[in-house]
Amino acid sequence: MKKINISRKNLSIPYMIYMVCFVVAPLAVLLFYSFTDSDGKITFHNFINFFTDGNTLGTLLYSVVVALITTLVCLIIAYPVAFILAKGHIKNKTILLMIFIMPMWINFTLRITALKEILTFFEKNLAYFPFVNTIIGMTYDFLPFMILPIYTVLINIDDCYMEAGLDLGADKVQAFMKIILPMSKAGIISGVTMVFLPAMTNYVILDMLYNSTYIMGSLIGSYFSAYDWHNGSMISIILLTIIIIVTVLSTDSNHKEERL
Amino acid sequence: MITDRRHIFRLLLMVIIFVTCTSSLCYAKKKEKSVVLRVCNWEEYIDLGDWDDDEAIDLSDDNVIMGINSMIEDFEEWYYKNYNVRCKVEYSTFGTNEELYNQMNLGDTYDIVCPSEYMIMKLLDEDRLLPYDKNFFDKNIDNNYYIKGVSPYIKNEFETNEINGEKWSKYAAGYMWGITGIVYNPDLVTREEASTCEIIRNPKFNRRVTIKDNVRDAYFAALSVYKSDLLLSKDFRDSADYRERLADEMNDVKKDTINNVQDILVDMKNNVYSFETDSGKSDMVTGKIVANYQWSGDAVYALDQAEEDGLYLDFAVPNECTNLWFDGWVMLKDGIGKDQDKKQAAQAFVNFLSRPDNVVRNMYYIGYTSVISGGQDSTVFDYVDWCYSADDDCEDVTEYSVDYFFNDGSSNKDYVLTVEADQPYRQLGAQYPSENDIKKSAIMRFFDKDANRDINKMWINVRCFNIKDIPVACYIVFGIIALFIAGLLVKKMICNKKKV
Repeated sequence: MKKINISRKNLSIPYMIYMVCFVVAPLAVLLFYSFTDSDGKITFHNFINFFTDGNTLGTLLYSVVVALITTLVCLIIAYPVAFILAKGHIKNKTILLMIFIMPMWINFTLRITALKEILTFFEKNLAYFPFVNTIIGMTYDFLPFMILPIYTVLINIDDCYMEAGLDLGADKVQAFMKIILPMSKAGIISGVTMVFLPAMTNYVILDMLYNSTYIMGSLIGSYFSAYDWHNGSMISIILLTIIIIVTVLSTDSNHKEERL
Repeated sequence: MITDRRHIFRLLLMVIIFVTCTSSLCYAKKKEKSVVLRVCNWEEYIDLGDWDDDEAIDLSDDNVIMGINSMIEDFEEWYYKNYNVRCKVEYSTFGTNEELYNQMNLGDTYDIVCPSEYMIMKLLDEDRLLPYDKNFFDKNIDNNYYIKGVSPYIKNEFETNEINGEKWSKYAAGYMWGITGIVYNPDLVTREEASTCEIIRNPKFNRRVTIKDNVRDAYFAALSVYKSDLLLSKDFRDSADYRERLADEMNDVKKDTINNVQDILVDMKNNVYSFETDSGKSDMVTGKIVANYQWSGDAVYALDQAEEDGLYLDFAVPNECTNLWFDGWVMLKDGIGKDQDKKQAAQAFVNFLSRPDNVVRNMYYIGYTSVISGGQDSTVFDYVDWCYSADDDCEDVTEYSVDYFFNDGSSNKDYVLTVEADQPYRQLGAQYPSENDIKKSAIMRFFDKDANRDINKMWINVRCFNIKDIPVACYIVFGIIALFIAGLLVKKMICNKKKV
């Protein structure tokens, strides 16, 4: 027994080294820079700067709005798709699912480049609708991440729940709203986190679709290219904190669901 | 007996060890000296060889230039032949000057790098550069291709520009150079409209022009719009110290200037198709945009590409002012240090790249203009002539002088090209700007710490959404919605509790 324990401990060493090198150490560096100024003195000025600078807060708001709308649109499209794929009486379901998942196999910059041409065909000039294009691009990019978790949850719900509801006098809408939707909450939540968080910082899509307003990712980049690592690090740290809070909240509610 | 045998054995062992040691030492001494050179250059900024046979540049019967191996491999071979030292080049690349600077600060050490002029000034200001040796500037040494071939015009710029009282030429050897200008589609834009930075915010071309996504280039373009009245005035143009005054005006980073430039940049942002990093060239070819503020080297590339697709674009230099830029090789103190072998290899590397046939190879491959004119060697001029001179049966021709660049006063040769009439406004005008255009050029210095902070702040103001722009009504509407949702939640919670 003892021997096994020791070897298990030893087995974890490579992972510990990995964690220290690639998670703990970079975080420490980030923390160090965010609380120092260019002379190396400890300061809270960067922290105050974040909350007093209208541009930083405005960019945060803009990113959140972009991410929220993207998530909402993704959810509205993904849920029916996942539902039909999981519960519908369709032949060749797997092939249909493949069609929705397939874009994930292609590098996203290539996909966005293709999308750019398609949008240009319809809009003539992309620069007139930068915000709409951003949402379209983001939705296109993140849709599979919303479909998959919802699909997995739905396919595991036994049909007899729905049938029981129908037998006991609920109409189809009621049965869906009171049985299927609550049971698939876990899938929705994991889908939302998988879309919302990356959508807040994915500035490449904005760049490629010619939206010249910065979101959080590009704002951090601009500080670093102006040799201001301190404010850049501070924004990263605060963004990281926000992401951690969102993740914790969503997993928390997920656990609660499971307990019920 | 046993001890004796042991003694013999020990002796034998010692002899063997001694022999192997000394022989390996001798071997090490016999082995050639070798040196490792760590080079960091721009991406796609050197000939990588592997040309097709039909790409060979046929200047004359005994002068055919062709890139078979990469320039780096050729250098290693050439260095061994000439200096009897094996040189291993560790070649890496960077995408922007800031990236290089950050890499260097993060602990990457290089021996020789190729940043732009303002970064060279910044590095020199921080005392991180090593001066070139005296014998690097000795024209009598055969292999000193740089000093023998550098254009008199570039040489003069490098001699007259100083930073902290030190001449550039002491620390930097030029590589490529150019100006900024506007690539435009002559079917849709007149030359007059394109010959000013004002085009970037011209509502006639709303959402059909682009500008570089780069603080310095955007600042320069907007600044020349802001100061256009002064820059175009005859008094200013005719003043005796025009070049000095122009350079001072274009390096103006006073607070209220920055504020005014910000307003112009906001106008530009609302008028441009995009702030592009690399898409400008292809968007021009596909016709998404009609004009594009561009570096001259990229302009040549865009014009070439468009021509392959049957679209003829033109290049115009802004009337107000154009940004003269250089990329140059500088040796780093923390890389080379006191290592003379390394220094020799680094200087030989610059010289090898400046050898006329290699200059042609690089220019053909990357499309930019080398600082080398060739001196006594006519290869570079022949190449330009080969590229641009009009066919014999062409009727509409014009004379184009590049004398200022090629003529170092050593010969009576006239460096004048006979080219098709539109070439001065096309590739040739971008690759070798006319003396007239060069006159209205200014070098942009590096921003000091305060200016850097102010200008970055300005850039963020231009690019970011500001929370203060949201009208109060929006706050009220959102507040009401939030209250409503909160109310619903509370109601639900109370209901749930009652049920329990």
